Amino acid sequence: MEYVSPEGLRLDGRRPMEMRQIRAEIGTIMKADGSAVFEMGNTKVVAAVYGPREVQNRGQQISDKALVRCEYSMANFSTGDRMRKPKGDRRSTEISLVIRQTMEESILTHLMPRSQIDIYVQVLQADGGTRSACINAATLALADAGIPMRDLVTSCSAGYLNSTPLLDLNYVEDSAGGPDVTLGILPKLDKVTLLQMDSKLPIDIFENVMQLATEGCKAVANYIRELLLENTKELEYRRGV
Amino acid sequence: MREQKGPSLVTPGEVLGRASDVKAGRGAYVAPHNSTVYSSLTGFLRTISPPADSPDQRPIVEVTGHKAQGAVPVPGSVVIGQVTKVMARMASADIMCVGPKSVREKFTGIIWQQDVRATEIEKVDMHLSFHPGDIVRALVLSLGDARAYYLSTAKNELGVVSAESTAGATMVPISWTEMHCPVTGQIEQRKVAKVGS
Amino acid sequence: MLHSKSFVKKSRAGRVTKVVREHYLRDDIYCGASICKVCDSSVARLSASASTILVLDTNVVLNQIDLLENPAIDDVVVLSVVLDEVKNKNMAVYNRLRALCSNSLRKFFVFSNEHHKDTYVKEMSGESKNDRNDRAIRVASQWYQSHLGDEVRVLLITNDRENRRKAVEEGIFAETVESYVKSLGQPDLLDLLVQPASEDVDMAEVEDLRPSKRKVIYNEHKPMSEITSGLHRGIYHQGKLRVNRYNPFEAYVGSESIGDEIVIYGRTNMNRAFDSDIVAVELLPQDQWHEEKSLSIAEDEEDEEDVHLVPSSADDAPRTTLPQQDSSRETNPVSYRPFGRVVGIIKRNWHSYCGSLEPMPMPAGSGSVANALFVSKDRRIPKIRIQTRQLENLLDKRIIVAVDSWDFLSRYPSGHYVRTIGEIGDRDTESEVVLIENDIISRPFSAQVLACLPPLPWSVSPIDLSNPNRMDLCHLRVFSVDPPGCKDIDDALHCSTLPNGNFEVGVHIADVTNFVFPGTPLDDEAAQRGTSTYLVERRIDMLPKPLTEDICSLRADVERLAFSVIWEMTPEAEVISTRFTKSIIKSSAAMSYVEAQARMDDSRLMDPLTTDLRNMNTLAKIMRLRRIDRGALTLASAEVKFQIDTETHDPLDIGMYQIREANQMVEEFMLAANVSVAKQILDHFPLCSLLRRHPTPTREMLEPLLRTAAAVGLHLDVSSSKALADSLDHALGDDPYFNKLIRILATRCMTQAVYFCSGDLSRPEYHHYGLAAPLYTHFTSPIRRYADVIVHRLLAASLNIDKLPSIFQDRPQLTSISDNLNYRHRNAQMAGRASVELHTLIYFRKRPTDAEARIVKIRSNGFIVFVPKYGIEGPVYLTSRAEKGGGEWYVDEPQQKIKKMDGSLSYSVLQAVKIHMEVVEPQPNRPKLQLTLI
Repeated sequence: MEYVSPEGLRLDGRRPMEMRQIRAEIGTIMKADGSAVFEMGNTKVVAAVYGPREVQNRGQQISDKALVRCEYSMANFSTGDRMRKPKGDRRSTEISLVIRQTMEESILTHLMPRSQIDIYVQVLQADGGTRSACINAATLALADAGIPMRDLVTSCSAGYLNSTPLLDLNYVEDSAGGPDVTLGILPKLDKVTLLQMDSKLPIDIFENVMQLATEGCKAVANYIRELLLENTKELEYRRGV
Repeated sequence: MREQKGPSLVTPGEVLGRASDVKAGRGAYVAPHNSTVYSSLTGFLRTISPPADSPDQRPIVEVTGHKAQGAVPVPGSVVIGQVTKVMARMASADIMCVGPKSVREKFTGIIWQQDVRATEIEKVDMHLSFHPGDIVRALVLSLGDARAYYLSTAKNELGVVSAESTAGATMVPISWTEMHCPVTGQIEQRKVAKVGS
Repeated sequence: MLHSKSFVKKSRAGRVTKVVREHYLRDDIYCGASICKVCDSSVARLSASASTILVLDTNVVLNQIDLLENPAIDDVVVLSVVLDEVKNKNMAVYNRLRALCSNSLRKFFVFSNEHHKDTYVKEMSGESKNDRNDRAIRVASQWYQSHLGDEVRVLLITNDRENRRKAVEEGIFAETVESYVKSLGQPDLLDLLVQPASEDVDMAEVEDLRPSKRKVIYNEHKPMSEITSGLHRGIYHQGKLRVNRYNPFEAYVGSESIGDEIVIYGRTNMNRAFDSDIVAVELLPQDQWHEEKSLSIAEDEEDEEDVHLVPSSADDAPRTTLPQQDSSRETNPVSYRPFGRVVGIIKRNWHSYCGSLEPMPMPAGSGSVANALFVSKDRRIPKIRIQTRQLENLLDKRIIVAVDSWDFLSRYPSGHYVRTIGEIGDRDTESEVVLIENDIISRPFSAQVLACLPPLPWSVSPIDLSNPNRMDLCHLRVFSVDPPGCKDIDDALHCSTLPNGNFEVGVHIADVTNFVFPGTPLDDEAAQRGTSTYLVERRIDMLPKPLTEDICSLRADVERLAFSVIWEMTPEAEVISTRFTKSIIKSSAAMSYVEAQARMDDSRLMDPLTTDLRNMNTLAKIMRLRRIDRGALTLASAEVKFQIDTETHDPLDIGMYQIREANQMVEEFMLAANVSVAKQILDHFPLCSLLRRHPTPTREMLEPLLRTAAAVGLHLDVSSSKALADSLDHALGDDPYFNKLIRILATRCMTQAVYFCSGDLSRPEYHHYGLAAPLYTHFTSPIRRYADVIVHRLLAASLNIDKLPSIFQDRPQLTSISDNLNYRHRNAQMAGRASVELHTLIYFRKRPTDAEARIVKIRSNGFIVFVPKYGIEGPVYLTSRAEKGGGEWYVDEPQQKIKKMDGSLSYSVLQAVKIHMEVVEPQPNRPKLQLTLI
């Protein structure tokens, strides 16, 4: 199956180094302390952050740091076929853990001891790259909630099909069975907080693919920063400052 | 302290300066590995010059987020709470405001018998100091234990601020130990806060 | 810009899902014309001088691909919408189109109209997919015309009337294929045209086919929906059709749902299906089973069984039809296979076939279109009707024809002529036919491939000498033993005595992977070819000659690079240690088998080289005995060798291939090297090694052998390979040839050995039955086999000399490579045999001969004989063809005899008879070898 045509176009018309269209919105859920909706192409994810608030389960309280909890779920209608068990299955548990660990690295937890920060992420439309979209949405929601962070965490996926590194795989390209690298970085600090890969890649090609994913993450970071700045300006304007 | 308002907007992770040049205030932190001060919130950047007499002459950079973070009781802050339980040696209260700000979610505080007042702390009768439902102003002593903050009302201006009588009317404070119900005329015992000039 | 494509898909299980995909439109897609000033012309393919640029419709591409491959058609824009449609409908045509587009000599440009912001067309409500695609083609043509301006005419080629009409309305130039080709003024191009099927042309133009006047021969195929529901319900069965090579009216469909093969008998039941089509079959009612003809040699109006080479495996042997039902006997009924008929074709597997036209009287007036019947060389293909203007020219030529369609009202399929190969009977033409039929790639190596070779003259360089991974073994007395006149020497041996009394034996194989690197055009071409093909008069090389005959070949007295396997073994041939290394060797002698044998036999010679040979021989004999003890089979080969006249290249003499001790010695060490390497690579790469296995033959396959043996009172134990080997050893008859004959019969029951990827099968399945080896691979001939090149790479990686190429991590790719190698190996063998048969025919054409023969099989109207001297076998008829059935002869099955009714004469299996062989021509241009009883 041809994923990159000899003319250099992928199945949906992008070139190998191009990302899908990104759109995001902040503050969509009123009740939450911070919330955001993040879209990468047809993948749409909503994140809500509650906290810092008192730890509900006293036994889990950490005396010098905040407790970060994360829950990832997919809506029943998010994929082509209606899903029966959106939560609690292996994949959801794994991704919840992954997102928690990624975000925990960036939140300055020592500033909020004995409290807990809840991140809820739900996938509304799944078209490949849900993990990355969730992390990006969580970052936005955390920034919206005003939780102090070391840096924004951005994430992007890249793969290798038909001997070409491809950026931002969609569902069709993901299901091709080729290698799929998901990368999460702190863009300004240039540090990696998440690196996952399916399948196998020789090390020299892996470096190229990871480099491509890093560039994708930085592009997402620019977009998020722009959005945050604009949003703040808007709020200040409304407050009359 | 003079304030200088800088109109620039920053996002988390943006460099604010070197640790040798600026000091990290609220909303900023110092990265240990390269001694740089980064922002940790989204908001306006403000540089505050230090007071002339402080040994550390570095300006303080602060970032104020637009979302007020829910207030968190910090040792030394004055809080307003509602008493939930009164027992022989302690009373527990739900903290509802920290300073002038109300909290997003209630925190639990405990007032131990010895922290109710400054004098004769052994002989304090809890039931004569607080009743469940009273609004008290207290000082946060410490983070306390896993369950609750430790509060103290051992100052004149701390203690019961408002209370309801058994009849259901709001009582009027008479002295630092008594409150008077206007409807029935009964006097009830409380550790009353001195509100006033 | 982002658009969204959404459509509804139905899965096989019947579930309906909505699919939504993104569709990006771009503004950086260029038109590909070099004259265009706006677009980036670095990707331009269309020539600057073109006055007309063609845009093709999908159906034109699908039907007229042969025409498009002709260089007269150029400056074509292939739209991506057309490309996608072709890909979905016919993968073979798609691949050919892609080859055209990437061929730098042809001016075909692929324009991605689906993603260009000006030419993207969104489906309108109520518009069918085809209409939308047609509209997209028209919009793209119009865009091209307005983009390139008036200097160039953009011409839309379509046979669809509706499309043409709408195009003209919109102001686009449009023509049919026929009118365009006619306008080019090259009449022979018109022959390549496929006549339009009825859907394209308006019905009124087709002649009146009055239904009553046409005999309905075939049933209409059921529509796809009915077939799918039938498959679901289990009334239809799906499988690949395999036509019996020796009886084209008999075919088998292997069906998983039945668990057995369904027999399709008769043309009507085959219902226009071709060999290797995927078909849907309906079972016939039980009372219609066993309707086949008796065990006679297949006779029908056209052909009969041919004289051919002795089969060397079960795959080559004719399929046995069901045993004849003899009501007089009370034998246990053999498991009857179900019979069925084809009700629909799920996937066609049509391609081009070579053969010649059936002789027919010339039509009045030459130059007009004539209908001719094309008979393919491959007997499994039915005759094909074609139209041609060059009938007179083509009658005596071998040509290639492609199939287009087969209407249910037509007796034969319709096709069109593609090209001529040469005259019938001309040896070169027939050789080429053999190559084409067996899909052997024989075109000369392209410039890109030749560019990968190191420059000549080549010699071992200081870099090679200083390579730490390469040992300098020039001090060893290395020699090679090969067939006479062999120039591509890939193996050499050495045998030296060690101070402790043991021997150091080494097998040195040409280091081909030092010159052929993965991913280069040279490597890709070799992988495609898979193996060198040995025809009688020439050799089709896998690698270019400079490599095979000079740089890699371990010629005498020159330093060459090699990959060595070195053993230390005791005088009793027990291996003490094995090591592998890359090396540099200098062969001291390149001998032929005869030479080596003579040296060993001449007791006067005592020089070191002869001593080494004798030592090796002794070791080899011990190793061979050990192998036979373990159960290795020694089967007799019926191979013949031709002596070719050096000038005319005609065969001068043919005779059986002689096996000497020297042959067996070399073979023994090659086997040992292959086994050692197999162990090494499997240890390091248990999941991605390329090995070779030989599946154990099943009892069913051995049936014919057992029956024949039983008829002469011989009992064979086939419980294991060792048991069979022992039985064969003890099978001695009164005449000396008997044992060899039994062995030859055993050979034809064996399956072929195949390559496979170790990750695909479990350990017990790696077994090689014939060699009784638990592990085996091919390592010793990288010059002529690509499998050995792969094993060399695996071995080098296991020794950490080189990195393992990334292809080894892709298991499906590896499996497809090993499948290709098996396919090419098979084809090369068949081509070799066909070439030998061809030369046999040429030899006997001028020399009718008498010879001794042995009967190997009894038929109802005669028997099959084997002629040992020439290694061929063929039918001898006792009754003339006019008499159907047995005539005055009848068959005694259990005794395997054919007896005359009056009891005067009888012939039994394995009996010796004298026959006369000569070449006859029952039809002009169709020579065949005929055997008659003397």
